[in-house]
Amino acid sequence: MPARNVLNQLKQRFDGAILRVDVPNDGRLFLYIRPETVREVCRYVFRDLDARYVISIGMDDRPFSGQFLVAHDFAFESEHVLASVMVHVPAEDPRIDSISPDVPAANWAEREMRDLVGIEAVGCPSQKRLVLPDGWPDGVHPLRKDVPWDFRPENYDEDRVYGFDDPPEGCTVVPFGPFHPTLDEPSHFRLFVEGEIVRGCEYRGFMVHRGIEKLGEAVLTYNEIPMMAERICGICGCVHSVTYAQAVEQAAAIRPTARAEFIRTIMLEIERLHSHLLWVGLANHILGFDTLFMQSFRMREPIMWLAERITGNRKTYGLCVIGGVRWDITPEIKADILRVLADLEKEWIPATKAVSGDRNLRKRTQGVGVASKSLVKEAGLIGPMARASGVGIDVRKDHPYAAYDRVEFDVITQDGCDVWSRVLVRVLEVFESIKIIRQCLERMPAGEIQLKLDGELPAGRVGVSSVEAPRGESHHFVVTGDDNRPRRWRVRAPTYQNLQGIPAMIKDQQLADMTISLGSIDPCFSCTDRLEVVDIRSGNVKVFSPAEIKTLGRRQGRG
Amino acid sequence: MSEGFWAVLGYGVLNVLLALAAAPLCEGIVRKITARIQSRKGPPLRQPYYDLLKLLGKEDIEAGESPRMQRMAAYLSLGATLTLAALVPMGGNAPLDGWADAILLVYLLTLCGVSTLLAGLAAGSPYSLIGASRSMMTMLTLEPILAVAVIIGAIEARSLRLDAILGASLFSGPGWPLAGLVMLGVMLLALQAFVERVPFDVGEAETEIMEGALVEYSGPKLALFKYARMVRLFVYCALVVTLFSPLGRGWVFPLALLAFLAQTLVLVLLVTLIGATHARYRIDQAIRYFAVLLAVSVGALALAAVGF
Repeated sequence: MPARNVLNQLKQRFDGAILRVDVPNDGRLFLYIRPETVREVCRYVFRDLDARYVISIGMDDRPFSGQFLVAHDFAFESEHVLASVMVHVPAEDPRIDSISPDVPAANWAEREMRDLVGIEAVGCPSQKRLVLPDGWPDGVHPLRKDVPWDFRPENYDEDRVYGFDDPPEGCTVVPFGPFHPTLDEPSHFRLFVEGEIVRGCEYRGFMVHRGIEKLGEAVLTYNEIPMMAERICGICGCVHSVTYAQAVEQAAAIRPTARAEFIRTIMLEIERLHSHLLWVGLANHILGFDTLFMQSFRMREPIMWLAERITGNRKTYGLCVIGGVRWDITPEIKADILRVLADLEKEWIPATKAVSGDRNLRKRTQGVGVASKSLVKEAGLIGPMARASGVGIDVRKDHPYAAYDRVEFDVITQDGCDVWSRVLVRVLEVFESIKIIRQCLERMPAGEIQLKLDGELPAGRVGVSSVEAPRGESHHFVVTGDDNRPRRWRVRAPTYQNLQGIPAMIKDQQLADMTISLGSIDPCFSCTDRLEVVDIRSGNVKVFSPAEIKTLGRRQGRG
Repeated sequence: MSEGFWAVLGYGVLNVLLALAAAPLCEGIVRKITARIQSRKGPPLRQPYYDLLKLLGKEDIEAGESPRMQRMAAYLSLGATLTLAALVPMGGNAPLDGWADAILLVYLLTLCGVSTLLAGLAAGSPYSLIGASRSMMTMLTLEPILAVAVIIGAIEARSLRLDAILGASLFSGPGWPLAGLVMLGVMLLALQAFVERVPFDVGEAETEIMEGALVEYSGPKLALFKYARMVRLFVYCALVVTLFSPLGRGWVFPLALLAFLAQTLVLVLLVTLIGATHARYRIDQAIRYFAVLLAVSVGALALAAVGF
């Protein structure tokens, strides 16, 4: 009983602080504690029990319990337990002690909690906005239940300017993004550069926040959300749809059919294959090595074709429903999968040799974008980032889901902590994915692909689920609700944590290494920023308002 | 005298025309071969001509901090490159027979680099400034290598006259041309940097600094820069051929021209292959590489000076 073991350790130390405990199964632990002990408990969990910080969730629970709810999620890797430390916060005074001073990785999550739910983390080192746009009025928190999903604030202030930090002495500002050839999505880094050396940076993003969680909580139904979830990301869409479905299934204590679990595993690995091949290509493109970029995309194409063969789509698979999947794998499709995998394997062996033997490539990536083991711990880095720093965490092994407990594979790790190691990890993981898919096809039992579910899912249950996306752990937190939809659905994509490691990774590096360092986390931004013009001589910053940009655009169009 | 003048002018103009006509074709070959290496079909060979025409036909927008300097930089870039083209013998006699010395060659090559620097300063954006400073660093270390190559030629030919150096080639001296061979190796290794291709396109580095000095360029001015870059690929390859290859020298007219073009093409192919199989170096790595080449070339100069 691993979850019980963790619980016992906590009970010994904080018996008086624990109000209620929920252990739905061996791998999950929900711990309700007294608000004033939250910082101490989290510090103990993070520092002494050496759990990995996952995410913090704020929730407006007033219509149901009359209070706000905060959950800090941690992962105990060796015990195979995902734990939520949960605290009720009074409705009239939504404030809670910040855990960021002890758990630096919680910085973003606490800022987001203040922006979206209006729960103040007292003592959080950064008080700046994270998610809400600059002009959004103070005191309006979109994820509160009394704010309608299609709410538009009337007093939106277009002239309000985000207060960027001043650059350090002797540094000039190099704006990186929102539009840059190597950013496929808008995102803005203000780099403080001295000569060619980056001394620091400030990040501002989240501007194309699409309010997907709010839609899920207010408009969609349980089985519509997987379709929305896979549109969170253009690369690992299936991951989000599976993570969500698993979180709901755990909350409602249902288990999908065995065949569905195998099909989910196969699709997740197909997605990993295409993502790894894509990333290896892009990383080489960033380094100016376009031949490998093109070759890797050519090898990726049959994988995309395979996805289309199985689901009818190259990317948005429409795979998951609660309790199963929508697409079966027929014997003909199975033969196609095996054929494509054989071809890929044949081509990927020489490609691996070419990459790992390339001195030129190694020169550009070794010792670049270094994320030390301590940074992995402090910033909560995950996926290939952690594994390339010698931290062998992989949700597929640590918190098995779908059919991963019924297949054998290795967790690839490297010790370099740099971009080179990340390249090697992802290149080698391709072979593991091929291995997993082959085992799944072999061991997949016959049977139904969906459960027949009768009646409503029980309300007020909590579910968490983690899935190893190609770029790291994707984590969803769900509280079930009435009207056939969840009360709260919190998505934490892997980039959310990995991006927080970037400032430390690019500090005191060459500017030329910025793009590959950022590229090495395989960033996935759901965010943008405004157009900014920086006058280097005076250091003045002119920010165009959306209205000004529109007028400028129209004037150009007429001219 | 007047007859000589017209001959010089004629040769020069013919050279320029040849360079202008052949450079986009070379670029087309580079693209096509690169595409084939990358399992792509690639654009038709005549695509670079279309690209230039398209850019030349676009609206001429004034941009950057100092638009006038930006315009000048574009003219200077193509102008200096074409003047250089006029001086390099393309399968015939050296133009400017007895009128110019080899130092002019080095100056003109420097001027091409200066135009990039001006372009970067004129645009005044952080990215263009970084691009300009990288180009500057590259130029400062590459320039001496070329100078050494020319001086070795001068030593072998016992003359600073351009026609003597380029016409006589490095192998005219008696005995085994050791210095010449070493220098040939150095020049081939540096060629990629002279023509600003991967792995030494640090000054442009699209995925890092968005084309660097050219970030604010568009339309006809961009066309001039692009054209100059294509011509430089052709002229530098031609220069290496005329400096180092005795093949085709003194042959009758069409054969000499064909031999020259064939050898230039081989160098263009070499540039393409290296470009397609390498990742871009960082500026500090590139400078270190150039420093080694420079040291070797100075060694070759010493060899030449003592008569090897």
